[in-house]
Amino acid sequence: MANAVIHGKAASVSFHNVSKMFGKDVLAVDDVSLTIEAGTLVTLLGPSGCGKTTTLRMIAGLEMATRGRIMIGDKDVTGLPATDRDVSMVFQSYALFPHMSVIENVSYGLKFSGFNKAETRDRAIAGLDLVGLTQYAERLPSELSGGQQQRVAVARALVLEPQVLLFDEPLSNLDAKLRRQVREEIREIQQKLGLTVVYVTHDQEEALAVSDRIVVMRNAGIAQIGTPRELYDAPSDAFVADFIGEANLIPCSVDRIAGDMAEVSLDGYKTTLSARGLPVGPAILAVRPSRVVVTRGTKSSGGMAARIEKATYVGSRMEYTVAADFGQIFATVEDVDTAFAAGDEVTLGFEDRGPVLLPPS
Amino acid sequence: MKKHLIAPAFLALASGIGSTSVSAANLTLYCSAQEEWCQLMARGFEDATGVDVAMTRKSSGETFAQVKAEEANPKGDVWWGGTGDPHLQAAEEDLTEPYVSPMREQLHPWSIAQAESAGDKTIGIYSGALGYGYNTDLLAAEGLPEPACWKDLLKPEFKGHVQMANPNSSGTAYTTLATMAQLFGEDEGFEYMKGLHANINQYTKSGSAPIKAAGLGETTIGIVFMHDAVAQAVAGFPVKVVAPCEGTGYEIGSMSIIKGARNIDEAKQFYDWALSAEAQNLALQVDAFQVPSNMSAETSDKAPDLSSIKLIDYDFKTYGSSDTRKRLLEKWDNEVSVLPQ
Amino acid sequence: MRIATTERTVHPVLIFWTIVGWVGFLVLPWYGIDEGFFRFEWLFDGYPMDTDHAPAAMLLAMGQKWWLAPLLLPLILPLFVLNRRKTEPIYAKVLISAGAFGFGWLIAQGFGIGIRGWSFDWLEALFGPLDDRQFGMGYGALLLASAYLFFFTQGIAARGAVNGDVFVVSSIGGVIAIVSIFVFFPIAKTLLAAFITEDGSYSVAVFLAKFFDDRIWALGCLFGGRCGVAWNSLFLAVLVGIITTLLGLVFALVVTRSGFRYKQGLRALTVLPIITPPFVIGLAIILLFGLSGSVTTWVADLFGIRPTRWIYGLPGILIAQVLAFTPIAFLVLIGVVEGVSPSMEEAAQTLRADKWQTFRTVSLPLMRPGLANAFLLGFIESMADFGNPLVLGGNYDVLSTEIFFAIVGAQYDQGRAAVLAIVLLAFTLGAFYAQRFWLGKKSYTTVSGKGDAGVHPQMPRRLSIPVYAVAAVWTAFTVIIYLMILYGSVVELWGVNNTLTFKHYITAFSLRLDEGGIRWTGSAWDSFWTTIQIATIAAPLTAAVGLITAYLLTRQSFAGKNAFEFGTMLSFAIPGTVIGVSYILAFNVPPIELTGTGIILVVSFIFRNMPVGVRAGIASMSQLDKSLDESSLTLGANSWQTFRGVILPLLRPAILAALVYSFVRAMTAISAVIFLVSAKYDMATSYIIGRVENNDYGLAIAYSTTLIAVMLTTVGLLQLMVGKTRIGRRMDHGSGG
Repeated sequence: MANAVIHGKAASVSFHNVSKMFGKDVLAVDDVSLTIEAGTLVTLLGPSGCGKTTTLRMIAGLEMATRGRIMIGDKDVTGLPATDRDVSMVFQSYALFPHMSVIENVSYGLKFSGFNKAETRDRAIAGLDLVGLTQYAERLPSELSGGQQQRVAVARALVLEPQVLLFDEPLSNLDAKLRRQVREEIREIQQKLGLTVVYVTHDQEEALAVSDRIVVMRNAGIAQIGTPRELYDAPSDAFVADFIGEANLIPCSVDRIAGDMAEVSLDGYKTTLSARGLPVGPAILAVRPSRVVVTRGTKSSGGMAARIEKATYVGSRMEYTVAADFGQIFATVEDVDTAFAAGDEVTLGFEDRGPVLLPPS
Repeated sequence: MKKHLIAPAFLALASGIGSTSVSAANLTLYCSAQEEWCQLMARGFEDATGVDVAMTRKSSGETFAQVKAEEANPKGDVWWGGTGDPHLQAAEEDLTEPYVSPMREQLHPWSIAQAESAGDKTIGIYSGALGYGYNTDLLAAEGLPEPACWKDLLKPEFKGHVQMANPNSSGTAYTTLATMAQLFGEDEGFEYMKGLHANINQYTKSGSAPIKAAGLGETTIGIVFMHDAVAQAVAGFPVKVVAPCEGTGYEIGSMSIIKGARNIDEAKQFYDWALSAEAQNLALQVDAFQVPSNMSAETSDKAPDLSSIKLIDYDFKTYGSSDTRKRLLEKWDNEVSVLPQ
Repeated sequence: MRIATTERTVHPVLIFWTIVGWVGFLVLPWYGIDEGFFRFEWLFDGYPMDTDHAPAAMLLAMGQKWWLAPLLLPLILPLFVLNRRKTEPIYAKVLISAGAFGFGWLIAQGFGIGIRGWSFDWLEALFGPLDDRQFGMGYGALLLASAYLFFFTQGIAARGAVNGDVFVVSSIGGVIAIVSIFVFFPIAKTLLAAFITEDGSYSVAVFLAKFFDDRIWALGCLFGGRCGVAWNSLFLAVLVGIITTLLGLVFALVVTRSGFRYKQGLRALTVLPIITPPFVIGLAIILLFGLSGSVTTWVADLFGIRPTRWIYGLPGILIAQVLAFTPIAFLVLIGVVEGVSPSMEEAAQTLRADKWQTFRTVSLPLMRPGLANAFLLGFIESMADFGNPLVLGGNYDVLSTEIFFAIVGAQYDQGRAAVLAIVLLAFTLGAFYAQRFWLGKKSYTTVSGKGDAGVHPQMPRRLSIPVYAVAAVWTAFTVIIYLMILYGSVVELWGVNNTLTFKHYITAFSLRLDEGGIRWTGSAWDSFWTTIQIATIAAPLTAAVGLITAYLLTRQSFAGKNAFEFGTMLSFAIPGTVIGVSYILAFNVPPIELTGTGIILVVSFIFRNMPVGVRAGIASMSQLDKSLDESSLTLGANSWQTFRGVILPLLRPAILAALVYSFVRAMTAISAVIFLVSAKYDMATSYIIGRVENNDYGLAIAYSTTLIAVMLTTVGLLQLMVGKTRIGRRMDHGSGG
């Protein structure tokens, strides 16, 4: 059996004021600066066309930055072509070479890295072992299932022990169940080997599940960088709040600032929240559906009168669309046993840690 | 594994294709007669003198184009064979070298006359009279009368039965045009060409194509040099050769030394040898039915007997010059070729 | 594991080319060797002191050829940057200036000083008379020129062009250099003739007068008269392009999308016409459909009508050209039809499209690049074809024959030939851009990096019936033509004396065994072996240049790409005759002296046939997902390794097409060859033409038949050698339908 062991050689990646133009007038990435720590899995998340894939391809060396500097570890790679960067990439389409068997595919990069034949084979086997496909070594890619092909692509990239491993929407061609499984495997391998991984996806759930940190991108720039928790609990603006998980965005007004707390009023409902640097005036209140508290009947104070418009039972919880004076609110409630029905009069409230104050859009 | 076998094999193949072959006594011969004759002339000269001959056969027009293209750095030494016009043209453009051979006294006067008209830059090696041939089977099948004169070809029953080459592309057809202009006078000659035009089924590109078409039964009559028609008949095709009763023009197959020849001595040696009776007799071995220019050379018994043909006094000086040629061709283009058929 | 090259101060590629340059300058003979490129007698013939065989350094040491001295400087300069890093600006600067100056000076001195001293009067006026001269360049100059060229490209790459990719930049530089030398230079030299007045000066008026000639542009045929040659050619070429594309598609469909069993036989049959020497098909057609042809007479007897010469003119050329060029369309289309991803077709079917709708809305549009390329090739081939119009054209004049006879005919009018060539070129250019426009910017990628396990669907019935019918009729026609040809080679005199005989084969290919071994006594052996040799050398080189060019065009972006693409198509678009004369004009004098050698034939074949390799390569490559290359690059392969390891293996059909095509064309080409053959390098086709001119139809046909057999064998062998691409699609057709 293989006696070669795949190690990680993780390095950090940093962008310094990087821009990328296509042609004369398409600005794909606009003055982006970011740092990806060695040994972490960082996701580039954003809607299509936000520049996340271009950013990834610039790390790979498949696109060259128009301006700015890109470092991998302490080395400036800005001008280096893909071949000369110590980076591997797993493609959305997997890009397995259709004329080579699985083992040939996995050995491919090793051939150019100065290994002798025996070492190449050992490493390739070790790589396949890592993804559990040793028994398919001699098959052609077309003879494997989608998930297996995906894992071959991962193994092929891994065996090179790259400083940075890149994934371009690797799960988009897999079914939901497989998706969860493969993303867990990727995360597991990343943590086991201590790899630096940069991962592009437009699926926020996937991003939340696998990432150490998430870079949310919008319109060729960065909207927010943070841990999944930070992004979820403290989005910097309405875009991030809405993109990471679901959020009810409710217009409100800041009445008074006291220290770093703000008194907020919303349709008669008043609460005090972290001000997050906002001045007095209009603002937006972002509330996750799970942080909305729905109680039966109309209360006189501390809540907003509302009416259930739609109630949906989804197994583990109830989903409600609730109409209040300021608009519709989407709420999820764990209690499925005493469910409301459409038309019920209710009172809305928010959990203490629930609402986040955002600048007005 | 495969790679290691292919590379040396490839090199082995490649070795050799870069050479131009130059050794002791050499001669590069451009030959514009038929392949066998060219081969025979080359081998004959090698046997007679021991000079190595590298021979390339191309039609006279192609050879002319090549000699012209190579003007700055000539590769050929002698150009032997092919109708006289391109040789005269080459002389006019100063692509060939004047040379007066000691063999001249053995030659027919028409040969020397042509040489003198070209400032000794070319010389006649054979001549062949213009005429036509017809396919006997087709003529019989169509119930047509046997033609014997040029004017017979104007008869309405021959409509669509006559083929000749386009004078713009073929020296043979230009000779026809020039012959008519000399035989009937220019105005009447053009009237004749106009009349003929009505009966022509196709103007071919190449000069000998009409008689080949006649041989294959694709046309009834083809206007060509008579020796081409004879060759067709000898090859077994049902072709009969006609020497027109009014008389006819002729071509002089020529030879020139190329200006700037690298082997000028061997070129002259070949020149003299090619004018000898012995060299000209080689034609008999290859079914060449032209009349040789050396008076003591033999003529094939199948060849048209020039003494029984009324030959016009063809003015090579005038009709071989590019000015006259251009004028006649333009006139033919504008007055004849545009007429409806 | 990988060591990034910026870290390195060792540049193996640069060191290699520096050594090559020095070897060229110090060791090898500077001037061309008279005995030939691959002959090494010079080693023992006065080398290195003899002026004819001395290397440049020795010449300079002996105080001769002073103009070679400046070449030393750009050879020394790169030595100073050998230990510099690529990223240092000085590295790029030195290499670029050394390369540019060296190459420029090499060219300048080559053209400036020829066999008669100064080549231009103004040089003499400037510097006074020069009593020295030089001949064509040889090994030394060749190596040095390559070294300079690649210094330059490495410098450009180091400055970051094309992501700093040395292989790509060097390939672009290399292709541009050879295309400039062997396509632009000779063609420009010839086309200039269109502007030369009778007294030798240049004038646009002359060109215009010749250009607006009624013989070229008349539209009389619309009113019952004659049309100009330009319209004739255009009309013919469009017809041929359309018909060959359709027929090619029909055969490609039968081979890939039907249960038809004898596919290999059909393949061979469709390839037959392409391997048939010129004139033979024309002759066979005349014997079938001519005035006295068997079919014509039979039909005439049947209906009691007079036989006519209907075949001469447009119908004859059309039949012959369609017969001859359908295989080219087939070769282009087969790769494309096979390449359409089955899963796309399966997807369409699951989207409730029936087979016919699937074909019409998915398969056919995905074949667009193939169809467009097939049409373009058919169009251009028809435009440049010379043999068929000559034999069957009747009074239907076309540009190619007019050009030929303007050069070799009684007019000796090279200017007119050049004008006609320009017209022809304009049409080709037009077709080229029309094709680009039609293809637009859509993506036709169908082989993606995902393993594709689908199966090509069978043709829909609505399609299969006409397809089978057309294929059957055309197959029968082809078979009859070839039986006629075979028959023609074993009778005494085709069409006249039908006694069976083998005498033609014996005359051409007899052998004798004696103590000296085999004696090749037949008259055809010389040209036969030369032809095989030249074709075998030309084919792989053609395929290589063609595919590298296709790779550059589809996979790389660089400034001037469109012009680059057009340049590579140019030599194909110009009739062989013009190429032939161009080559003599350009390569008969120093600095590049090639006439009379076999090299000039090989070179002319490479550049005449390369465009087919380019087209086939582009068609196949545009179906390969770019992420395949990219993943190879991110896996550490450089672009050369990617090209070799990933692209080439997936391009096997295109490689085969290019190899077969160039081999076969080298064996059957005639129009350029006429001017380039020499005593030592006579080609089969020029020998065959000599026979036809001499009424030796039997011999000509026997020789052609032998060539056909040889080529069929070769094509088979090539198919075995190149092999099939293993991408694991199921080969059988699903029985469920």
